[in-house]
Formats: sequence, C-alpha cells, structure tokens
Amino acid sequence: MKVGFVGLGIMGRPQALNIRKAGYELAVWARRRQSMQPLLDAGAVGCASPKEVAAVSDVTFVMVADTPDVEQVILGPDGIIEGAKPGSVVVDMSTISPVVTREIAEKLAGKNIEMLDAPVSGGDIGAINGTLSIMVGGKPEVFARVKPLFECMGKNIVHIGANGAGQVAKACNQIIAAVTLEAVAEALTLARRNGADPAQVREAMLGGFAWSKVLEVHGRRIVERDFKPGFKARLHRKDLKIVTDTAAHLGLSLPQASLVASHLNALVGMGLGDEDSAAVVKVIERAAGEVR
Amino acid sequence: MKLGFIGLGSMGVPMAENLLNGGHELYVWARRAEAAKPLIGKGAKLCASPAEVGASAEVTFTMVTNGADVENVVLGETGLAHGAKPGSVLVDCSTIPALTVRKVATELGRKNVDMLDAPVSGGETGAKAGTLSIMVGGKPAVFERIKPLLGLLGKTLVYVGESGSGQVAKAANQLILTVSIHGIAEAIMFARANDVDFKPVWEALTKGFAGSRMLELFGARMMQREFVAGLDARLHHKDANIVLQSAYESYTPTPAAALAAQAFNALMAREGTRWDSAAILKVVEEMNGRDIA
Repeated sequence: MKVGFVGLGIMGRPQALNIRKAGYELAVWARRRQSMQPLLDAGAVGCASPKEVAAVSDVTFVMVADTPDVEQVILGPDGIIEGAKPGSVVVDMSTISPVVTREIAEKLAGKNIEMLDAPVSGGDIGAINGTLSIMVGGKPEVFARVKPLFECMGKNIVHIGANGAGQVAKACNQIIAAVTLEAVAEALTLARRNGADPAQVREAMLGGFAWSKVLEVHGRRIVERDFKPGFKARLHRKDLKIVTDTAAHLGLSLPQASLVASHLNALVGMGLGDEDSAAVVKVIERAAGEVR
Repeated sequence: MKLGFIGLGSMGVPMAENLLNGGHELYVWARRAEAAKPLIGKGAKLCASPAEVGASAEVTFTMVTNGADVENVVLGETGLAHGAKPGSVLVDCSTIPALTVRKVATELGRKNVDMLDAPVSGGETGAKAGTLSIMVGGKPAVFERIKPLLGLLGKTLVYVGESGSGQVAKAANQLILTVSIHGIAEAIMFARANDVDFKPVWEALTKGFAGSRMLELFGARMMQREFVAGLDARLHHKDANIVLQSAYESYTPTPAAALAAQAFNALMAREGTRWDSAAILKVVEEMNGRDIA
C-alpha cells in the first residue's frame, strides 16, 4: 500500500515518520518546504502539491490546523480531489467542523473517493510515541482497510459511526474536558477565597466522585501556578469554536460549553493563548478583581 | 470507645455499621426509630434523644440532610448540646454551609465540646465499603485524635484547615460534580443532534483527557436513560445551592456553578424528588425541543 501525508507540523511530522518507520512507501507535501526535510531524510518522496501526493497514494492523510486549511488542501486548486484515484481513501486527522466534514466527504464521494474523519487526542507526545487516541467516522469497511495504518500512529482506535462522527466524538471530548476544567478552576478559586488551601482541597477531592483526569493534571497546574503547555489555550479555544459553530448550525443551546468557550476567548484576548488552557483560572480570578 | 451516631439514612446506616465493626460501643438516635433496627440487631443501643446520645458517647457522629437538621439535632430542645460531656467531640459528616458549622462549633465550644466538620464524598457504595473521601475542618489536634475512627469510614482522610474548611472542600467537590454532570449532558445532546450514537464516543472518551468518575457513572446512566434511581438529584440541587452560598459569602464569581444550579432548579421543576441527577439530560433535551426520542 502506498501512503501519502499532507501537513507536517508538530503533529503531522511524527505521525508521518511513524508510518514510514513501519516500512510503508510515503509521499509527502507541506506548505513550508523545510517541514518536509526530516521525512525526505527518512526516505519519503517530496511532492509539489497535495494533488501530486494523492495521485501516487492509495491512502492520503491530512493533518492541518483548521477547517479552511482542510478545505484548501482537499478541494482547493491543486488539491487532493484533483489527483486522487477512484477507490483511494482520504483520511483527515485534523480537528475540524463535523458539518464541513460531511460536505467534503460528499464531494469526494462524487468522484468515487472514500473519506474518513479521524481526529486524534494525545498531543505531540502521543504523536511521537505512536500512542494517540483516534476517533474515526466513515464506512466500516474503509475503516478496516486503513486500520493497520492507524495502528502505526495510535493505541486507542475507535470507529464511532458515519462520516463526521469522529469529529463529533472529538467535539464531545473537548466539551467535557473544557467544562470539567472550568469546574476545577472555579472550585479551587472558591476554596482559596474561602480560606482553604487549594492543594489540600484538590488532594481530598481526588479520592472521591470528583476525580477526573483534568483534576489530576490541570488541577495540579492550577495549584502550582505552572501554565507551561500542555495543550495551548488558543487550540482549545479553536476546538470549542467548532462546538459553538456546530451548535449554532444545528440550533442548539449548550450553556456550559458556551461559557467556557467565552472564557477561553478572554484568555486568548489577554495575550495568554500560548499558555496551557488551565490558565483559564486567570479569567475567573480577574473577574473577581484579582491578578495573580 | 463509646460512640454516638445520629441520622440513620442511606449513608448513616452503613457508616454506623463500620464503626460497630471496628469494635466500638454505639449509641444511636434517628427521627424514625425503625431506621435504627439493623443496627440494634448488631448491638447498638437506641437512645430517646440526641441529648441522650451526647450524654453516653465520647465521640458522636451526625449524618443528616441539611444545615437546619444539624442545628436541630445539636442545638435544638433535646439536642446533643444538652447532654454532651465536656471534652467530648462532635463529628458532623453532613454536607451543610460552612457558616452553619462555625455557628454550631461556637455554641459547642462554650460547653467545652469540640467539633469537626467532616463531609464525605463517595456515595452509598463508598459508605458501605468504608472507602469514603473525608474532608475535615477543625482543630488539628482533634483531627489527630479522631483520625483512627475516620479511618473506619473512609480511605482518603484530608485535614483541610480550621472549622468550616471541610465544608469548603465539599462545596468545591460538589461544584465539580454538578458542573461535570451538566457538561456531560451537553456533550450527549451534541452527539444526538449530530445523529451520532454516544456509546462508542463514551468508550473512546473515558480513558482519555475527558475521563472522570462522573463520565463513568452518569455518562452510563444518561446513555441508558436511567433517570429514576433515587435521591441524588434532590441532594445535588441542595448542594448546588450551598456552592452558590459559599460563592456569595466569599464574593467569588462561579458562572459555571451558577449555570449548573439553574439546570438543577429546572430539574426540580419536573417533580424533582423522582429524579436521579442523570435526568439533567432531560432538562438539556427539553430546553432544546429534542425531548421526543
């Protein structure tokens, strides 16, 4: 099987390297030429456009920043749709809108090109170690064909449903993680302002029903005031915008998700977008007139 | 040691049992005497009033529903305060406002009776297994004395700070629970509005960064639409209010907690006492006009 990879950033590069390491023939393209170099050094073939990558690949992966970038590299001029062979598969691993994902899948289907949406969680460390969680939407038989390639990149690989379902799962992940983060930030602030030591309170809560991965990891960051990322606030903000845009599209009121989305707006607006999203606690503190 | 226990509900009975199993003498009182039956069978002695419990016990535990109940069984006409011996200790495990704790502790202090606030997290399952998480406020020396007894009830015993601090920690705890439940319900609503089955989503999420005890427990109940389990919603509704009270007193903005409290108000508007907290999903669905499954 010949594999293509479009988008070689902080996530895409290690993912593509893991596919190459597993012995697959690999064709790559990235907006900035120097991003391709580590892959070329590993024996991948550099291409002049996404179209060219797709033309030589049975499965083409896409890992770019945002919804417009995905539309550009798949549907734009010199895009994947212009080069991809009938029967080949496009796998978008970016985190983007489920609504746009369904539209793209339909356009590709019009040319007999299959599509999977397969957003990931686990960050650059998960990408490097090949331990990403991968949530997949698309036809089960297409998922089965691509699964060996997913296994080069991730551990917890789940087929969720039809096209777009992977993005919906990722959005659910970001809703729950962000709302839990907001809760932890408010809870620790409430404790501190009532004279209780947040470190002790976190310790006590970890043993009970309030346990969460977020309380463990982000709770510790808040207690220690250590906001080195982690997962950057501006990326969490982008992911929640997908949620609020989709909610608007579907006519849905999701007050908790909207609230934390607006707090992440404020956090990025105060110039702290490159801090870990646990820094959302600063929005609550500033609301209370504190700058810590 | 001679111990007392007041308040024999679904939490109180298994907690009292664990104290009995620890080899202690136990004096009990409950509003409804039949609630004491399982404990009497195991050797506990039934008292006629909280005051009588106080007169018999060196350390008395209370586990009742709200702040008014605590004031009543401790400071009321036949309350514990009227019988308790100087040097004895009251350990209140109920979830009540920190303000009430400080008031009751001050009154007891006048009679040389110490008080710890020791609210718990972990539910009936944790109470039965003796694995509760216990958050303690009061004097450190009193905490050290009582610690072996708390060890019969729970696994995570954390001294948080002065009187009322245990309740502050519990308020923080309940803030996280109520907001998490609301957030999980929104995620399920989001999946459903996108025509995506939440089951595989739940399976993908529980092990990752969105993973939590609440997602495991309430995510599962919401998916199975098990909305009528017991008392939980009523208690979370009460707790959400304690959280806001604590926020009010400390001038702390807690907008997510406020939203969750509103969702629980909305749930109570639907014959509240019937529902488990998983029914917050119904509130989210109905306010979005998606209640017809």
